[in-house]
Amino acid sequence: MPRTAKSNPSSSTPNRSALKPWQKIAINVFIVFHIFAITAWAIPFRSQFANDCRELVRPYLLWSGLFQAWDMFSPMPKATNTYLQAVIIYKDGSTQMWDFPRMELLTLTQKYSKERYRKFVEILLDQRNAALRPDVARYVARLPGIREKNPQQVWLMVKWSNILPNGDGTFARTPLDQDVFFRYDVQPEDLR
Amino acid sequence: MSPGLTLATPFTSFRAAWNRFFFEPQSPLNIAVFRIIYGLLVLATALLLRGDWLAWYGPHSWISAATMYVVEPGTRLNLFSIIPQTDFAINALFVVFILAAACLTVGFCTRASSIVVYLCLTSIDQRNLFILHGGDTFLRVSGFFLIFAPAGAALSVDRWLRIRRGQETAELRPRLPWAQRMIQLELAFLYLVSFWWKMKGGAWTEGSALYFIFHLDEFQRFPIPQFLLRPAILRIGSWAALALEFLLGTGIWIKKFRYPLLVAGVLFHLSLEYAINVPLFQWDVLSAYVLFIDPADLARFLDRFVHRNVNAPTAVRS
Repeated sequence: MPRTAKSNPSSSTPNRSALKPWQKIAINVFIVFHIFAITAWAIPFRSQFANDCRELVRPYLLWSGLFQAWDMFSPMPKATNTYLQAVIIYKDGSTQMWDFPRMELLTLTQKYSKERYRKFVEILLDQRNAALRPDVARYVARLPGIREKNPQQVWLMVKWSNILPNGDGTFARTPLDQDVFFRYDVQPEDLR
Repeated sequence: MSPGLTLATPFTSFRAAWNRFFFEPQSPLNIAVFRIIYGLLVLATALLLRGDWLAWYGPHSWISAATMYVVEPGTRLNLFSIIPQTDFAINALFVVFILAAACLTVGFCTRASSIVVYLCLTSIDQRNLFILHGGDTFLRVSGFFLIFAPAGAALSVDRWLRIRRGQETAELRPRLPWAQRMIQLELAFLYLVSFWWKMKGGAWTEGSALYFIFHLDEFQRFPIPQFLLRPAILRIGSWAALALEFLLGTGIWIKKFRYPLLVAGVLFHLSLEYAINVPLFQWDVLSAYVLFIDPADLARFLDRFVHRNVNAPTAVRS
């Protein structure tokens, strides 16, 4: 329990709720600007005007970290189960498969701490993020247990199964398909 | 009535409503409780990442800093771009982050802590943008506005120290709520924009969206009873999610709908927490619900648990 105040501070301290006119103007400008900037950035409305507004606020939102997107599971949720694997080919000709953490195979506590890998795999499979793949291949090549065995190539391979709606309102899964979508030649400096 | 008066009246009433909403002093209890929950969630976020600090952010991480700057260019608030790229420095940044989050939670050096937490949080997000979920975004944006809020004005070590020094009485004084309102607006905006995005895709309007989501292996957490996976039930669920997101974005501002909507929102997020594997997202969003509770109700609720430490607010408006 806090000690009782020695005097009556409420009578001597200034009212913290009172604002000077310039302060109120500044706060209003701050509020209006941020409402405008966040709205312009995040609403899914496509037009020249909306794009111009987005470009206007882009530098500030990217700098400040106030950028945002609220499009989870939308406009269409994913209809494919995908799994990412790395295939490591060693200099002696042997190969090894390395699985990215698969959420459905993890324990509950692991799901909480490793969920970032789910998002990361989703990003990696998107062709627009192809520039990330060399880094990922290099990371796999450097993993303990792989680096020591002189990896020569790292392939990234996706396996997928589509979720298809049946005519009666139920759904079915297609058999697993697979594709090697990225190949990387490991350089000596990658392993340092 | 003169034309000037008819034009001026709507503007005057809008200005009055604006001033009431953003500037009419309110009990700081809500923002203080939010600060505590927020701090705990930030701590949880950092600790859940603990095993992968270096894997995601280290000098030899999955995505190098150099690649990140190429793929996501632009000047950004990012401490990783100024600290040495060594394991020690990266770990040290996380330790500072955790200490600041702990200080924010207990309300010690609250303003400074909130600034450090925001700087670290936004840096961590900026350093690797490819592993973020909506909860991270909400923590980051609400953390920014929390900096400007009187978050240490109640339930804090700062306040306890001020009372000990005789700088403040035990009675809570109302404070300007404008920063709290920005966090509330952000929450409502989140729901409204989510609704808008979903309306752009056929799966949500025709009602098949939840079927796909519940059959994605990566999202499954606990088993869902089979009868809930029937197409008719999932169709109703998809539409209910749409309706609820719209209402939480709009109706939450209407006082008589607020509590029923908050209860519905809590049940909605708890059911998602059970069924879908997106760690902390539901809790991150739910944390801001406390800002919509009437301060008097919140004070009564807290009084049952922390007698005498929480005083009835002198001004109540939500």
